[in-house]
Parts: sequence; structure tokens; C-alpha cells
Amino acid sequence: MRSRDGNKASLLAVCSIIFFLSSALQAAEYLVSYRYVIKDMILYNDSFLISPAMKKCNGTPQRSLDLILKGEDNLMQLVSNNNEAFRKFIEKIGLEIDHKEKTTNFQNSSSTIITMKTSCFKVDFNDNFAKISHLK
Amino acid sequence: MKYSMLLVALLSSSTLFAQEVIQVIPVQENKVEMLSSQVKALEAKLGEYSEHSHSQTNDNEPLLEKNDTMLISVVGQGVAPMNTASPAQAYALAKRAATADAYRLIAEKVKGVRVDGQDVIKNMMVKRSTVRTSVNAMVRNANVVETTFKEGLCEVEMEIKLAYSQFAQ
Repeated sequence: MRSRDGNKASLLAVCSIIFFLSSALQAAEYLVSYRYVIKDMILYNDSFLISPAMKKCNGTPQRSLDLILKGEDNLMQLVSNNNEAFRKFIEKIGLEIDHKEKTTNFQNSSSTIITMKTSCFKVDFNDNFAKISHLK
Repeated sequence: MKYSMLLVALLSSSTLFAQEVIQVIPVQENKVEMLSSQVKALEAKLGEYSEHSHSQTNDNEPLLEKNDTMLISVVGQGVAPMNTASPAQAYALAKRAATADAYRLIAEKVKGVRVDGQDVIKNMMVKRSTVRTSVNAMVRNANVVETTFKEGLCEVEMEIKLAYSQFAQ
């Protein structure tokens, strides 16, 4: 029969490993939507809407994007610092295009709305980089 | 004598009819030949027309064959707004608008455009002419190939590769 002290030591070792791993890798899920409006060839509105997921998202990771961390600890900061890279990543996932054009007496006006419907993203924060994966 | 004269008259009339019959038959044959030649000519013309129209559709609308891919390339244009803080901001905004235009062009090419037209005519004169077009589509996996910015106009060249398997059901 083992002594109680021996069990305690092994339990502490397991707890310390778990603590060490959790400090090195932190995962979170976010809901992201994106929309921008163009009227007569001029950009009017461009918005990312990012919110932490209140419940676990269903789906498996599809595409992923690796970004170097510069002190960011959430997706909002990460996107604001790496706007162009994240936008290109979203464009690969797919965007919906809704374009309307009206020509009255040979005078043209147009409006294009480009949207990405609310999608779930899993973000793995590592020591010096973050991996953003699209869940589908 | 009278009977003989009557017989001669009957014989002559019968030979006349016989000649007519002989003459009629080749005319009918000629007609049939003419008709058949006309039908053949029409068939040939129809064949030429269908071949021509088929080649025309092939020229205008390339078809995506099985186990084949198709590359669609478009150039979108965007304009920078007047009130920008810096030339860099103007470039970024114009590029975004040009990208959206390129997406729209891809959607138009792949999915098509809905066009509605309306003309109001009063006293034989066009009062108002309106054309509405709309596109609604989802685009993914499009790539920006080249971006140019000259005199406030940004042009983005974008291409998309379509595969038959993407559309097969």
C-alpha cells in the first residue's frame, strides 16, 4: 500500500504539468462577421463585428491562419493589428456579394454590399503566435 | 360509215388522253425531284446554320467540361474618396472598393446578372428610361493578381479557378 505523501507528490506533479500547459496554450472561440458597403465605387462602411462565443461552437477546423503575437490576448486586438492578413483570410473563406445598379436617363448609380455571415473561429494563443481556425 | 367515223373519233380522243397522261407523269416526277432537291438544300442550310450557331455559342460562352478547370480573370476599379487623411488611406480605401468591384464582376460572369428595364413614353417621347441590374452571389477562393493605383483610380486584377467538381451534383 502506498503512503499518502507519495500520492500527494504525484498529484502535485500532474497539477503542475496541467498548469504549465494551460499557461502556454490558451484557446478561445469567437463569432466574427464582416461587412462593407461601396456606393458609386467609393467605400462607405467597413466593419468587423467580433464577439467571444457564449457557448461552444459546433464544427471542425477548416482553414487556419497563423499570426505572430505582439502582446495581444484576444481576437479583437489581433485583428486590429493584422487587419489586412485577416481580411485576406476571410476572403478565402467566402464572401457574399449583393450588388444593385440603377441607370436612369443614362445616369448610373450603384451600391455593393459585401458580407461574411457570422461564423465561428477558434483561436489558439501560443507563446509567440496565434492560430486562427475557421470552424465549419 | 358513221360508226367508223365515231370509232376514229374515239380512238383519236383516247390517244390524245394517253399523250396527256404520258406528258403528265414526267412533270410529276420532275416536281418530286425538284422538291427533294429543295429539301436537301434546306437540310444542308439548316446543318450549316446549326453548326454556325453552335460555334458561336462556343465562342461566347466557354463550357466547363468534365474533369476540366476554367480560369476567370477580371479587373475591378475603385475610386478614393475626396476627404482622406493621407494618400495611404486613399489608396487603401480605393483598393477595397476595387476589390469589391472585382468580386462583383466575378459574380456577374459566373452566376449572371438580373436585368430589369422600364421606359416611360408620353406623347411619343421617352420621358424616363430606367435600367436596374442586380447580382447576388457568394464568391470564395478568388485571388488578387495585381493592383495598380494611378491618378486616384485603383485597379485590382482578380482571378478565380473554377472546377467542374464544384458544380457537379
